[in-house]
Amino acid sequence: MSEVRNPMVVSFAVWKAIFLREALDRLFDMRAAWFWLLAEPVLHIGFLVFIFTVLRMRTVGNADVAVWIIVGMLAFFLFRRTAVQVTYAVDSNQPLFTYRQVKPFDPALARAVLEAFLMAIISTIILSVAALLSHDTWPHDPLLVLSAVFGLWLFGVGYGLVASVLMALVPEMEHILKILMLPLYLISGVIMPLVVIPQPYLDLLMLNPIAHGLELVRAGFFPYYHTVQGLSMEYLYAWAIVSLFLGLMLYRRFALQLVMK
Amino acid sequence: MIVIKDVHKRYRTDHGPGKWVLQGVNLTIPSNVNVGLIGSNGAGKSTLLRIIGGIDHPNKGQVERRCRLSWPMGQGGLEPSLTGRQNAKFVCRVHGHQDDLTDRLAFIQDFSELKAAFEEPVNTYSSGMRSRLQFAMSLAFDFDIYISDEVTAAGDAAFRDKAAAAFKSMANRAGLIMVAHSDSTLRQFCEAGILLYQGKAQWFDDIEEAFKAYKDTIKK
Repeated sequence: MSEVRNPMVVSFAVWKAIFLREALDRLFDMRAAWFWLLAEPVLHIGFLVFIFTVLRMRTVGNADVAVWIIVGMLAFFLFRRTAVQVTYAVDSNQPLFTYRQVKPFDPALARAVLEAFLMAIISTIILSVAALLSHDTWPHDPLLVLSAVFGLWLFGVGYGLVASVLMALVPEMEHILKILMLPLYLISGVIMPLVVIPQPYLDLLMLNPIAHGLELVRAGFFPYYHTVQGLSMEYLYAWAIVSLFLGLMLYRRFALQLVMK
Repeated sequence: MIVIKDVHKRYRTDHGPGKWVLQGVNLTIPSNVNVGLIGSNGAGKSTLLRIIGGIDHPNKGQVERRCRLSWPMGQGGLEPSLTGRQNAKFVCRVHGHQDDLTDRLAFIQDFSELKAAFEEPVNTYSSGMRSRLQFAMSLAFDFDIYISDEVTAAGDAAFRDKAAAAFKSMANRAGLIMVAHSDSTLRQFCEAGILLYQGKAQWFDDIEEAFKAYKDTIKK
Protein backbone atom coordinates (compact mmCIF):
# COMPACT_ATOMS: atom_id res chain seq x y z
CA MET A 1 0.00 0.00 0.00
CA SER A 2 1.16 3.59 0.42
CA GLU A 3 4.75 4.22 1.43
CA VAL A 4 5.83 4.85 5.02
CA ARG A 5 5.98 8.53 5.94
CA ASN A 6 9.18 9.98 7.30
CA PRO A 7 8.87 10.68 11.09
CA MET A 8 9.68 14.35 10.54
CA VAL A 9 6.90 14.59 7.95
CA VAL A 10 4.47 13.04 10.45
CA SER A 11 5.58 15.50 13.15
CA PHE A 12 5.11 18.50 10.88
CA ALA A 13 1.69 17.25 9.81
CA VAL A 14 0.70 16.88 13.48
CA TRP A 15 2.07 20.32 14.43
CA LYS A 16 0.19 21.95 11.61
CA ALA A 17 -3.04 20.15 12.47
CA ILE A 18 -2.81 21.02 16.18
CA PHE A 19 -1.76 24.60 15.48
CA LEU A 20 -4.83 25.15 13.32
CA ARG A 21 -7.10 23.38 15.80
CA GLU A 22 -5.73 25.46 18.69
CA ALA A 23 -5.99 28.70 16.71
CA LEU A 24 -9.67 27.99 16.04
CA ASP A 25 -10.26 27.23 19.69
CA ARG A 26 -8.43 30.30 20.93
CA LEU A 27 -10.03 32.75 18.49
CA PHE A 28 -13.56 31.43 18.05
CA ASP A 29 -14.29 29.27 21.10
CA MET A 30 -16.78 31.63 22.74
CA ARG A 31 -18.66 34.46 21.16
CA ALA A 32 -15.94 36.91 20.01
CA ALA A 33 -13.14 35.12 21.87
CA TRP A 34 -10.68 37.01 19.68
CA PHE A 35 -12.05 40.30 21.01
CA TRP A 36 -11.27 39.35 24.61
CA LEU A 37 -7.73 38.30 23.68
CA LEU A 38 -7.15 41.91 22.66
CA ALA A 39 -9.45 43.51 25.24
CA GLU A 40 -7.74 41.99 28.30
CA PRO A 41 -4.36 43.74 27.87
CA VAL A 42 -6.03 46.89 26.51
CA LEU A 43 -8.22 47.21 29.61
CA HIS A 44 -5.31 46.56 31.98
CA ILE A 45 -3.16 49.12 30.17
CA GLY A 46 -5.93 51.69 29.86
CA PHE A 47 -6.80 51.47 33.54
CA LEU A 48 -3.19 51.81 34.72
CA VAL A 49 -2.33 54.61 32.32
CA PHE A 50 -5.42 56.45 33.54
CA ILE A 51 -4.46 56.02 37.20
CA PHE A 52 -0.81 57.02 36.64
CA THR A 53 -1.51 60.09 34.56
CA VAL A 54 -4.28 61.27 36.89
CA LEU A 55 -1.70 61.09 39.67
CA ARG A 56 0.36 63.44 37.46
CA MET A 57 3.13 60.95 36.99
CA ARG A 58 4.12 61.46 33.37
CA THR A 59 7.50 59.76 33.30
CA VAL A 60 9.03 56.68 34.92
CA GLY A 61 12.83 56.70 34.94
CA ASN A 62 12.93 59.07 31.97
CA ALA A 63 10.37 57.11 29.96
CA ASP A 64 6.87 58.03 28.79
CA VAL A 65 4.66 56.39 31.41
CA ALA A 66 2.03 55.20 28.89
CA VAL A 67 4.59 53.42 26.73
CA TRP A 68 6.35 52.18 29.86
CA ILE A 69 3.15 50.47 31.03
CA ILE A 70 2.23 49.18 27.54
CA VAL A 71 5.62 47.58 26.98
CA GLY A 72 5.84 46.02 30.44
CA MET A 73 2.28 44.75 30.32
CA LEU A 74 2.62 43.22 26.86
CA ALA A 75 5.88 41.48 27.79
CA PHE A 76 4.31 40.18 30.99
CA PHE A 77 1.19 38.98 29.15
CA LEU A 78 3.38 37.15 26.66
CA PHE A 79 5.05 35.27 29.50
CA ARG A 80 1.87 34.56 31.45
CA ARG A 81 -0.30 33.52 28.52
CA THR A 82 2.38 31.23 27.12
CA ALA A 83 2.99 29.69 30.55
CA VAL A 84 -0.72 29.10 31.25
CA GLN A 85 -1.55 27.85 27.75
CA VAL A 86 1.36 25.40 27.75
CA THR A 87 0.47 24.22 31.26
CA TYR A 88 -2.99 23.10 30.13
CA ALA A 89 -1.98 21.99 26.61
CA VAL A 90 -2.19 18.26 27.33
CA ASP A 91 -5.40 18.49 29.37
CA SER A 92 -7.26 20.38 26.66
CA ASN A 93 -6.26 17.97 23.91
CA GLN A 94 -6.93 14.70 25.70
CA PRO A 95 -9.26 13.23 23.02
CA LEU A 96 -6.67 13.80 20.29
CA PHE A 97 -4.16 11.39 21.82
CA THR A 98 -6.34 8.63 20.34
CA TYR A 99 -4.18 9.16 17.26
CA ARG A 100 -0.78 7.73 18.10
CA GLN A 101 0.93 10.27 15.81
CA VAL A 102 0.08 12.92 18.42
CA LYS A 103 2.59 13.02 21.28
CA PRO A 104 2.12 14.99 24.53
CA PHE A 105 4.77 17.52 23.52
CA ASP A 106 3.02 18.43 20.25
CA PRO A 107 0.09 20.45 21.67
CA ALA A 108 2.49 22.21 24.08
CA LEU A 109 4.68 23.34 21.20
CA ALA A 110 1.72 24.34 19.03
CA ARG A 111 0.23 26.40 21.85
CA ALA A 112 3.52 28.15 22.61
CA VAL A 113 3.99 29.15 18.97
CA LEU A 114 0.36 30.21 18.65
CA GLU A 115 0.63 32.40 21.75
CA ALA A 116 3.78 34.11 20.42
CA PHE A 117 2.00 34.66 17.13
CA LEU A 118 -1.11 36.14 18.73
CA MET A 119 0.86 38.35 21.12
CA ALA A 120 2.90 39.69 18.18
CA ILE A 121 -0.32 40.76 16.47
CA ILE A 122 -1.84 42.16 19.68
CA SER A 123 1.37 44.06 20.51
CA THR A 124 1.54 45.55 17.02
CA ILE A 125 -2.05 46.74 17.26
CA ILE A 126 -1.65 48.28 20.71
CA LEU A 127 1.68 49.96 19.93
CA SER A 128 0.34 51.32 16.64
CA VAL A 129 -2.72 52.77 18.32
CA ALA A 130 -0.47 54.38 20.96
CA ALA A 131 1.69 55.79 18.15
CA LEU A 132 -1.40 57.31 16.55
CA LEU A 133 -2.15 58.93 19.92
CA SER A 134 1.27 60.60 19.50
CA HIS A 135 3.31 58.46 21.88
CA ASP A 136 6.77 57.49 20.72
CA THR A 137 6.45 53.70 20.52
CA TRP A 138 9.34 52.85 18.21
CA PRO A 139 12.07 50.90 20.11
CA HIS A 140 15.50 52.49 19.92
CA ASP A 141 17.18 49.07 20.15
CA PRO A 142 14.86 46.52 18.45
CA LEU A 143 17.36 43.66 18.80
CA LEU A 144 17.53 44.08 22.58
CA VAL A 145 13.72 44.09 22.69
CA LEU A 146 13.48 40.96 20.54
CA SER A 147 16.05 39.00 22.53
CA ALA A 148 14.45 39.94 25.86
CA VAL A 149 10.97 39.08 24.56
CA PHE A 150 12.23 35.78 23.18
CA GLY A 151 13.82 35.00 26.57
CA LEU A 152 10.51 35.69 28.33
CA TRP A 153 8.64 33.52 25.85
CA LEU A 154 11.16 30.69 26.23
CA PHE A 155 10.85 30.89 30.02
CA GLY A 156 7.07 30.79 29.63
CA VAL A 157 7.35 27.58 27.59
CA GLY A 158 9.77 26.04 30.11
CA TYR A 159 7.59 27.02 33.06
CA GLY A 160 4.51 25.61 31.33
CA LEU A 161 6.18 22.28 30.54
CA VAL A 162 7.47 21.84 34.10
CA ALA A 163 4.17 22.96 35.62
CA SER A 164 2.05 20.57 33.56
CA VAL A 165 4.17 17.58 34.57
CA LEU A 166 4.17 18.63 38.25
CA MET A 167 0.38 18.98 38.14
CA ALA A 168 -0.03 15.57 36.56
CA LEU A 169 2.18 13.96 39.23
CA VAL A 170 0.90 15.95 42.23
CA PRO A 171 -2.60 17.35 41.63
CA GLU A 172 -2.32 19.78 44.58
CA MET A 173 0.41 21.63 42.69
CA GLU A 174 -2.26 23.38 40.64
CA HIS A 175 -3.33 25.44 43.67
CA ILE A 176 0.24 26.25 44.65
CA LEU A 177 1.19 27.37 41.14
CA LYS A 178 -1.92 29.55 40.90
CA ILE A 179 -1.02 31.21 44.21
CA LEU A 180 2.52 31.79 42.90
CA MET A 181 1.23 33.33 39.66
CA LEU A 182 -0.87 35.94 41.43
CA PRO A 183 1.82 38.16 43.06
CA LEU A 184 4.02 37.79 39.97
CA TYR A 185 2.10 40.66 38.41
CA LEU A 186 3.15 42.91 41.29
CA ILE A 187 6.70 41.78 41.99
CA SER A 188 7.81 41.69 38.34
CA GLY A 189 7.57 45.46 38.04
CA VAL A 190 4.62 45.57 35.67
CA ILE A 191 2.85 48.27 37.65
CA MET A 192 5.43 49.47 40.13
CA PRO A 193 8.83 50.71 38.93
CA LEU A 194 11.41 48.47 40.59
CA VAL A 195 13.96 51.31 40.80
CA VAL A 196 12.03 52.89 43.68
CA ILE A 197 12.47 49.79 45.83
CA PRO A 198 15.29 50.09 48.39
CA GLN A 199 18.00 47.57 49.07
CA PRO A 200 18.16 44.82 50.29
CA TYR A 201 14.63 44.11 49.01
CA LEU A 202 15.51 45.00 45.43
CA ASP A 203 18.09 42.20 45.25
CA LEU A 204 15.43 39.75 46.42
CA LEU A 205 12.99 40.94 43.76
CA MET A 206 15.69 40.71 41.10
CA LEU A 207 15.93 36.95 41.74
CA ASN A 208 12.80 36.81 39.61
CA PRO A 209 13.85 36.36 35.95
CA ILE A 210 10.65 37.97 34.68
CA ALA A 211 11.63 41.25 36.34
CA HIS A 212 14.90 41.13 34.37
CA GLY A 213 13.00 40.41 31.17
CA LEU A 214 10.54 43.30 31.59
CA GLU A 215 13.26 45.83 32.45
CA LEU A 216 15.37 44.67 29.50
CA VAL A 217 12.46 45.10 27.10
CA ARG A 218 11.93 48.61 28.44
CA ALA A 219 15.65 49.39 28.23
CA GLY A 220 15.39 48.45 24.55
CA PHE A 221 12.53 50.87 24.01
CA PHE A 222 13.78 54.00 25.75
CA PRO A 223 17.26 55.40 24.97
CA TYR A 224 17.80 57.17 28.35
CA TYR A 225 15.89 54.81 30.61
CA HIS A 226 17.06 54.66 34.24
CA THR A 227 16.93 50.97 34.83
CA VAL A 228 17.60 48.76 37.83
CA GLN A 229 21.22 47.96 38.68
CA GLY A 230 22.44 44.45 37.87
CA LEU A 231 20.13 43.78 34.95
CA SER A 232 21.23 40.63 33.16
CA MET A 233 20.09 39.02 29.92
CA GLU A 234 22.17 35.94 30.81
CA TYR A 235 20.18 35.48 34.02
CA LEU A 236 16.88 35.49 32.11
CA TYR A 237 18.22 33.04 29.53
CA ALA A 238 19.70 30.78 32.21
CA TRP A 239 16.24 30.39 33.74
CA ALA A 240 14.63 30.01 30.33
CA ILE A 241 16.99 27.33 29.09
CA VAL A 242 17.22 25.39 32.36
CA SER A 243 13.42 25.33 32.75
CA LEU A 244 12.95 24.41 29.09
CA PHE A 245 15.33 21.46 29.25
CA LEU A 246 14.00 20.36 32.63
CA GLY A 247 10.51 20.50 31.15
CA LEU A 248 11.53 18.50 28.09
CA MET A 249 13.24 15.92 30.26
CA LEU A 250 10.17 15.61 32.48
CA TYR A 251 7.99 15.25 29.37
CA ARG A 252 10.21 12.48 28.09
CA ARG A 253 10.17 10.67 31.41
CA PHE A 254 6.51 11.19 32.35
CA ALA A 255 4.85 11.47 28.92
CA LEU A 256 2.66 8.46 29.66
CA GLN A 257 1.39 9.73 33.01
CA LEU A 258 0.34 12.94 31.27
CA VAL A 259 -1.83 11.18 28.75
CA MET A 260 -3.12 8.23 30.76
CA LYS A 261 -5.48 8.28 33.66
CA MET B 1 1.95 -7.76 10.39
CA ILE B 2 1.93 -6.93 14.08
CA VAL B 3 4.29 -8.68 16.46
CA ILE B 4 3.43 -8.53 20.16
CA LYS B 5 6.22 -9.73 22.42
CA ASP B 6 5.75 -10.55 26.09
CA VAL B 7 3.43 -7.60 26.80
CA HIS B 8 2.67 -6.95 30.47
CA LYS B 9 0.26 -4.26 31.58
CA ARG B 10 -1.14 -3.06 34.86
CA TYR B 11 -2.68 0.26 35.81
CA ARG B 12 -1.81 2.60 38.62
CA THR B 13 -4.60 2.80 41.17
CA ASP B 14 -5.10 4.93 44.29
CA HIS B 15 -3.70 2.03 46.32
CA GLY B 16 -0.48 1.52 44.37
CA PRO B 17 -0.09 -0.65 41.30
CA GLY B 18 -3.19 -2.65 40.37
CA LYS B 19 -3.32 -6.28 39.39
CA TRP B 20 -1.84 -7.40 36.08
CA VAL B 21 -4.36 -6.98 33.28
CA LEU B 22 -2.06 -8.50 30.68
CA GLN B 23 0.67 -10.82 31.80
CA GLY B 24 2.94 -12.05 29.05
CA VAL B 25 0.92 -11.71 25.86
CA ASN B 26 2.75 -13.09 22.80
CA LEU B 27 1.01 -12.83 19.44
CA THR B 28 1.77 -12.39 15.77
CA ILE B 29 -1.16 -10.94 13.87
CA PRO B 30 -0.87 -11.18 10.06
CA SER B 31 -2.11 -8.32 7.90
CA ASN B 32 -4.73 -10.19 5.92
CA VAL B 33 -6.72 -11.85 8.69
CA ASN B 34 -9.80 -10.59 10.48
CA VAL B 35 -9.51 -11.48 14.11
CA GLY B 36 -11.90 -10.99 17.02
CA LEU B 37 -10.82 -10.50 20.61
CA ILE B 38 -12.83 -12.60 23.03
CA GLY B 39 -12.81 -12.45 26.79
CA SER B 40 -15.00 -11.58 29.77
CA ASN B 41 -15.43 -8.01 30.98
CA GLY B 42 -12.17 -6.65 32.34
CA ALA B 43 -10.10 -9.34 30.64
CA GLY B 44 -8.06 -6.62 28.94
CA LYS B 45 -9.58 -6.55 25.45
CA SER B 46 -9.67 -2.76 25.12
CA THR B 47 -6.34 -2.46 26.90
CA LEU B 48 -4.73 -4.77 24.37
CA LEU B 49 -6.30 -2.81 21.50
CA ARG B 50 -4.99 0.46 22.93
CA ILE B 51 -1.51 -1.01 23.30
CA ILE B 52 -1.57 -2.37 19.75
CA GLY B 53 -2.81 1.04 18.56
CA GLY B 54 0.13 2.73 20.25
CA ILE B 55 -1.85 5.07 22.49
CA ASP B 56 -1.13 3.11 25.65
CA HIS B 57 2.17 1.55 26.52
CA PRO B 58 2.99 -1.78 28.11
CA ASN B 59 4.87 -1.86 31.42
CA LYS B 60 7.03 -4.55 29.89
CA GLY B 61 7.42 -6.06 26.45
CA GLN B 62 6.95 -4.43 23.08
CA VAL B 63 4.75 -4.17 20.02
CA GLU B 64 6.14 -3.96 16.50
CA ARG B 65 3.85 -2.51 13.87
CA ARG B 66 5.12 -3.56 10.47
CA CYS B 67 2.25 -2.06 8.50
CA ARG B 68 -0.05 0.92 8.30
CA LEU B 69 -2.28 0.59 11.31
CA SER B 70 -5.38 2.60 12.15
CA TRP B 71 -6.10 4.23 15.49
CA PRO B 72 -8.44 2.28 17.82
CA MET B 73 -11.71 3.26 16.20
CA GLY B 74 -14.92 3.79 18.04
CA GLN B 75 -13.54 5.04 21.35
CA GLY B 76 -13.11 8.79 21.60
CA GLY B 77 -10.93 10.66 19.19
CA LEU B 78 -13.37 13.54 18.85
CA GLU B 79 -12.70 16.96 20.34
CA PRO B 80 -16.12 18.11 21.68
CA SER B 81 -15.71 21.84 21.11
CA LEU B 82 -14.83 21.49 17.43
CA THR B 83 -17.35 20.86 14.68
CA GLY B 84 -17.60 17.56 12.85
CA ARG B 85 -15.80 19.08 9.88
CA GLN B 86 -12.97 20.49 12.01
CA ASN B 87 -12.48 17.15 13.72
CA ALA B 88 -12.41 15.38 10.36
CA LYS B 89 -9.91 17.92 9.02
CA PHE B 90 -7.67 17.33 12.01
CA VAL B 91 -7.63 13.58 11.45
CA CYS B 92 -6.97 14.01 7.72
CA ARG B 93 -4.04 16.33 8.41
CA VAL B 94 -2.55 14.07 11.06
CA HIS B 95 -2.66 11.19 8.59
CA GLY B 96 -0.94 13.23 5.90
CA HIS B 97 -3.91 13.94 3.64
CA GLN B 98 -3.47 17.68 3.29
CA ASP B 99 -3.55 17.47 -0.51
CA ASP B 100 -6.79 15.57 -0.96
CA LEU B 101 -8.48 17.11 2.08
CA THR B 102 -11.59 18.20 0.16
CA ASP B 103 -12.29 14.72 -1.22
CA ARG B 104 -11.92 13.02 2.15
CA LEU B 105 -14.10 15.60 3.88
CA ALA B 106 -16.76 15.21 1.19
CA PHE B 107 -16.67 11.44 1.71
CA ILE B 108 -16.94 11.74 5.51
CA GLN B 109 -19.82 14.22 5.32
CA ASP B 110 -21.62 12.12 2.74
CA PHE B 111 -21.16 8.75 4.45
CA SER B 112 -21.98 9.96 7.96
CA GLU B 113 -25.23 11.51 6.64
CA LEU B 114 -24.74 14.34 9.11
CA LYS B 115 -25.68 16.96 6.48
CA ALA B 116 -25.86 20.41 8.10
CA ALA B 117 -24.91 19.02 11.52
CA PHE B 118 -21.42 18.45 10.12
CA GLU B 119 -20.81 22.16 10.76
CA GLU B 120 -22.03 22.01 14.38
CA PRO B 121 -19.79 21.29 17.41
CA VAL B 122 -19.53 17.62 18.30
CA ASN B 123 -20.81 18.27 21.84
CA THR B 124 -24.22 19.03 20.32
CA TYR B 125 -24.37 15.58 18.68
CA SER B 126 -26.47 12.67 19.83
CA SER B 127 -24.58 9.45 20.54
CA GLY B 128 -25.81 8.01 17.24
CA MET B 129 -24.50 11.01 15.34
CA ARG B 130 -21.15 10.77 17.08
CA SER B 131 -20.70 7.14 16.19
CA ARG B 132 -21.78 7.79 12.59
CA LEU B 133 -19.06 10.43 12.34
CA GLN B 134 -16.49 8.09 13.92
CA PHE B 135 -17.51 5.35 11.55
CA ALA B 136 -17.27 7.55 8.47
CA MET B 137 -13.83 8.79 9.55
CA SER B 138 -12.59 5.25 10.03
CA LEU B 139 -13.55 4.40 6.43
CA ALA B 140 -11.95 7.51 4.92
CA PHE B 141 -8.38 6.24 5.11
CA ASP B 142 -6.49 3.25 3.75
CA PHE B 143 -4.85 1.10 6.36
CA ASP B 144 -3.38 -2.38 6.21
CA ILE B 145 -4.97 -3.31 9.52
CA TYR B 146 -7.94 -1.66 11.19
CA ILE B 147 -8.52 -1.68 14.93
CA SER B 148 -12.18 -1.55 15.84
CA ASP B 149 -13.40 -1.13 19.41
CA GLU B 150 -17.19 -1.45 19.07
CA VAL B 151 -17.28 0.69 15.98
CA THR B 152 -20.14 -1.07 14.19
CA ALA B 153 -22.78 -0.51 16.86
CA ALA B 154 -23.76 2.77 15.24
CA GLY B 155 -26.83 4.65 14.14
CA ASP B 156 -30.35 3.62 13.13
CA ALA B 157 -31.36 0.52 11.17
CA ALA B 158 -30.86 1.99 7.68
CA PHE B 159 -27.42 3.31 8.55
CA ARG B 160 -26.44 0.04 10.23
CA ASP B 161 -27.10 -1.92 7.01
CA LYS B 162 -25.03 0.49 4.95
CA ALA B 163 -22.29 0.52 7.60
CA ALA B 164 -22.18 -3.28 7.80
CA ALA B 165 -21.80 -3.53 4.01
CA ALA B 166 -19.02 -0.93 3.95
CA PHE B 167 -17.33 -2.55 6.92
CA LYS B 168 -17.49 -5.93 5.24
CA SER B 169 -15.84 -4.68 2.05
CA MET B 170 -13.17 -2.94 4.10
CA ALA B 171 -12.59 -6.10 6.11
CA ASN B 172 -12.18 -8.05 2.87
CA ARG B 173 -9.54 -5.72 1.53
CA ALA B 174 -7.56 -5.19 4.77
CA GLY B 175 -6.93 -6.84 8.11
CA LEU B 176 -9.12 -6.22 11.12
CA ILE B 177 -8.72 -6.59 14.86
CA MET B 178 -11.98 -6.10 16.65
CA VAL B 179 -13.76 -6.12 19.97
CA ALA B 180 -17.54 -6.37 20.00
CA HIS B 181 -20.08 -7.12 22.68
CA SER B 182 -22.23 -9.27 20.46
CA ASP B 183 -20.97 -12.68 19.37
CA SER B 184 -22.89 -12.45 16.09
CA THR B 185 -20.95 -9.33 15.05
CA LEU B 186 -17.68 -11.12 15.68
CA ARG B 187 -18.87 -14.18 13.75
CA GLN B 188 -20.03 -11.96 10.90
CA PHE B 189 -16.68 -10.26 10.34
CA CYS B 190 -13.93 -12.44 11.79
CA GLU B 191 -12.51 -15.80 10.86
CA ALA B 192 -9.82 -16.04 13.55
CA GLY B 193 -10.07 -15.36 17.28
CA ILE B 194 -7.91 -14.42 20.21
CA LEU B 195 -9.01 -15.49 23.65
CA LEU B 196 -7.87 -13.34 26.56
CA TYR B 197 -7.99 -15.20 29.84
CA GLN B 198 -6.13 -14.47 33.08
CA GLY B 199 -3.72 -12.08 31.43
CA LYS B 200 -2.69 -14.46 28.66
CA ALA B 201 -3.70 -14.53 25.03
CA GLN B 202 -4.34 -17.57 22.91
CA TRP B 203 -4.68 -17.58 19.12
CA PHE B 204 -7.31 -19.66 17.33
CA ASP B 205 -7.37 -19.96 13.53
CA ASP B 206 -11.13 -20.54 13.72
CA ILE B 207 -13.22 -18.15 15.75
CA GLU B 208 -15.66 -20.96 16.66
CA GLU B 209 -12.81 -22.73 18.45
CA ALA B 210 -12.11 -19.54 20.36
CA PHE B 211 -15.75 -19.27 21.44
CA LYS B 212 -15.69 -22.90 22.54
CA ALA B 213 -12.55 -22.31 24.61
CA TYR B 214 -14.14 -19.17 26.06
CA LYS B 215 -17.23 -21.15 27.15
CA ASP B 216 -14.94 -23.64 28.87
CA THR B 217 -13.23 -20.87 30.86
CA ILE B 218 -16.63 -19.63 32.07
CA LYS B 219 -17.67 -23.05 33.35
CA LYS B 220 -14.64 -23.31 35.60
